[in-house]
Amino acid sequence: MSKMITEQNLRLLIDTLVKEGARVVGPRQAGAMTLYEPLTKGDDLVLDQLPRRSAKEAFFPVCETILSFERKEGKTTVQDVDVCTVPETVLIGARPCDAAAPGILDAVFSWDYKDEFFLERRRRTTIIGLACTKADDACFCTAVGLSPAEMKGADLFLTPLEGGGYACEAPTEKGERLMARHPQLFDDAGNAKPLPLAEPAVEKLDLQKIKAWLDGNFESPLWYGIADRCAGCGACAFLCPACHCFDINDEGTADKGERRKHWDACGFGKFTNHASGHNPRDIQNKRYRNRIMHKFKYYDDKFGQTLCTGCGRCIRHCPVGIDIYAVIEEINKMGARDQGPGTGKD
Amino acid sequence: MNSTAQKLETSTPIDTSCYADVTDAIRKEAARILADGTVTAVVGYKAGRRAGTTMPAIVTDPAEAGGLIFSPACVNNLALYLTKAKKDVVKKGRIAIVAKGCDMRALAGLMGESQIKREEIFIIGVVCAGVKGSGAVNSEPLTTGNLARKCRECTVRTPEGADLVAGTMPSLPELTPVEALEMARLEAMTPAERWAFWKEQFSRCVRCMACRQVCPFCYCEQCLCDKNRPQAVESTPRPAGNMAWHIVRAMHLAGRCAGCAECERVCPMEIPLNLLNRKMALEMKELYGFEAGLAPQEKGPLSSYKEDDDQSFIK
Amino acid sequence: MCDHGKNIYMPHLATIEAMHDETSDIRSFRLVFQDEQVRENFTFRAGQFAEYSAFGAGESTFCIASSPTRKGYIECCFRSVGRVTDALRSLEVGDTVGVRGPYGNSFPIEEFYGKNLVFVAGGIALPPLRTVIWNCLDLRDKFGDITIVYGARSEADLVYKHELKEWEERSDVNLVKTVDPGGNGPTWDGKVGFVPTILEEAAPAAANTIALVCGPPIMIKFTLPVLEKLGFADEAIYTTLENRMKCGLGKCGRCNVGNVYVCKDGPVFTAKQVKAMPQEF
Repeated sequence: MSKMITEQNLRLLIDTLVKEGARVVGPRQAGAMTLYEPLTKGDDLVLDQLPRRSAKEAFFPVCETILSFERKEGKTTVQDVDVCTVPETVLIGARPCDAAAPGILDAVFSWDYKDEFFLERRRRTTIIGLACTKADDACFCTAVGLSPAEMKGADLFLTPLEGGGYACEAPTEKGERLMARHPQLFDDAGNAKPLPLAEPAVEKLDLQKIKAWLDGNFESPLWYGIADRCAGCGACAFLCPACHCFDINDEGTADKGERRKHWDACGFGKFTNHASGHNPRDIQNKRYRNRIMHKFKYYDDKFGQTLCTGCGRCIRHCPVGIDIYAVIEEINKMGARDQGPGTGKD
Repeated sequence: MNSTAQKLETSTPIDTSCYADVTDAIRKEAARILADGTVTAVVGYKAGRRAGTTMPAIVTDPAEAGGLIFSPACVNNLALYLTKAKKDVVKKGRIAIVAKGCDMRALAGLMGESQIKREEIFIIGVVCAGVKGSGAVNSEPLTTGNLARKCRECTVRTPEGADLVAGTMPSLPELTPVEALEMARLEAMTPAERWAFWKEQFSRCVRCMACRQVCPFCYCEQCLCDKNRPQAVESTPRPAGNMAWHIVRAMHLAGRCAGCAECERVCPMEIPLNLLNRKMALEMKELYGFEAGLAPQEKGPLSSYKEDDDQSFIK
Repeated sequence: MCDHGKNIYMPHLATIEAMHDETSDIRSFRLVFQDEQVRENFTFRAGQFAEYSAFGAGESTFCIASSPTRKGYIECCFRSVGRVTDALRSLEVGDTVGVRGPYGNSFPIEEFYGKNLVFVAGGIALPPLRTVIWNCLDLRDKFGDITIVYGARSEADLVYKHELKEWEERSDVNLVKTVDPGGNGPTWDGKVGFVPTILEEAAPAAANTIALVCGPPIMIKFTLPVLEKLGFADEAIYTTLENRMKCGLGKCGRCNVGNVYVCKDGPVFTAKQVKAMPQEF
């Protein structure tokens, strides 16, 4: 029997989870925008807009301490951070573009060396996804293989219903467990129809064709045309659900301090700058090229996935109007021209 | 910030019919000066993929001049592209720039700081009835409701000192000076309240550096906050480093900031950075009677010394 | 119960047992791990690198400059050019540093058995080859002729000077040392000229020979054509890429050249591999 949850019970679920001691993270008003932040009560939840920053920070915070150190009477000791103290978390109200991203990032954080800061949070977090009924002119999830109804990455998935409430599906055991623990909050789904879902006004792009073009066009006038205007900030990377580059820095003194891991961006000139002053990506065009290559080629080469979920945040908030959809749409067209129809990856 | 403050008045349309003439004039002039070799590139605006959006464009071919536009979405201060921070864009030759009245201040400031020479640039001035503020819907026309805050107090709708001024100003409705009111509110606070206000604002900073990267005056080859020998500003997005960064930036811009408010516009975390710059401008006026203006001035008060300078801050 | 793995960013603690000023701004450390188990179990291969911390300043990436055949300690060598290296330089014998590693791939030394070796190094890039040189010298009978061409801007800029002397005196090593024109003092007994030129003069035979090249990008750029001229195939030339790194673990995203993560897939590459990469390093 399929299930549904009323708006009121959804908020009650948050209250209940908070009372049980779980960390509940969801979109919450922060000035003129919303952010995925810890909720203290059900009424904190604001679901009518896409949060300004993505949900990746539930797993990969803006800044986190990875160890601390102290020197006493000449002797230095290092204190590990106990990731076992990561609380059980429910991430609620993640849009398909946000819910899908952490699963994509599992690959980089777990190949060979395992980044337990990320992975432990992944293990301890249940994601409640939410279908989208609204898309704006920057949304392009359908262009990169997702959709407003995509459940990828969600443990429990909510679809808004006509007349209020949400249809609930549990694509994973984690989601089933969450429902099973709070049976009183879920009702049997009646005949209520789902609200019409959003339809981003974009073409579905052939990601393999885009990758094939990138394979052969490290050098292309395209990079110089697009990125001349790039201002070299990190707004795109920091709002992105899939960008995961970081820096590590010590703060404090040799006598007492912490080592911290924090977001970094390939758009910054100093990102790749050598101590000698030599910089392999010495101009902005090369940095922007790396951004596109990493998302649509390198990550695919390494992990077989695309590092973009089409959330559109980088488009909405680029200070100089760079539009990643327009870029990959152009590449898609060039790819089609180069290869003719029907050829993608070999 | 815009959306709440602007609810003060009912939203009425702003007449932007002159923008079509402006666009036409930009295209004609850009094509002419590129074709006759007056300039090697024109920095202007072109339409974005999404209806109602624009982006900076660097045009070198007269045939592409037809793509230049002017609209209420032309909010960027293009002076950024004439600084050495963008030296991979503007390599050599004479550059033309499309400038609104407010953008002229940044050009004047950069001339005063010997970053650009007047004779080396060609200024296509444009009359401007205003541009859109953050949060405005792309497809909607310009109204008193979605107008950028800086435009509400604009005194330079028709640029002066340009090589050409495109368009004729329409008459505009009365506008509430939203930012001035916000400034007054902050000024009325106790220092502790003001500290709390800024602490809260800066706590959201993620150090994406968009504020620095779009600022025409942040052209330092190496920013103080990127230096690490010694490290002046902690680089992680935490309260101490965030506060230090924004104070350092405000101090470095005092008496230089041209008030374009680009830093505030681009901040993805909606930190009202222009209030901070405006506060510094206010201090500069009170302490030194100095205002960054439309005429190039050789040295601001913080880079020159006078016997009678106010020294009351030395305690 | 929490069953998570270990914190991959945790360094081992090591004590500076000895230090030596190689030049006016380049210093080398001999480090001994403080934990007995680590001291006994820490193994690495020539060419691997580590993240060294000066606590309070951060981490910096250098190769392990000692040979894996020498047990009980590791060595590193760094120039003071930034916050971390300045802080490392301010430390004294007996002080503690952090060491994470070993990371990255290594020189396939077993594949070099029975072959002649030509080492070509410039300036501070001797350490990544020094580990291989000592590794091979400690297994001397497994290799044919060993030639080392090492140069720096001036006499003062040569590192491991005492070892150059030792290699010079050995009959089973052919050391060709050089300084750039103008860098030679009155008592200089080596060559004068840029490394690629001196290499061409020395003209080591390419047959059954492996070339290992480390140096600043400009030296490598001019050395590769010389090796080609001498008859070396790209597969027989090894080098290391020294990109900026932070994590060393294939996560932080800054060391990539195209889809190659230098920290994981490198830092050791053949000239053939390097030529196949996007030229962005």
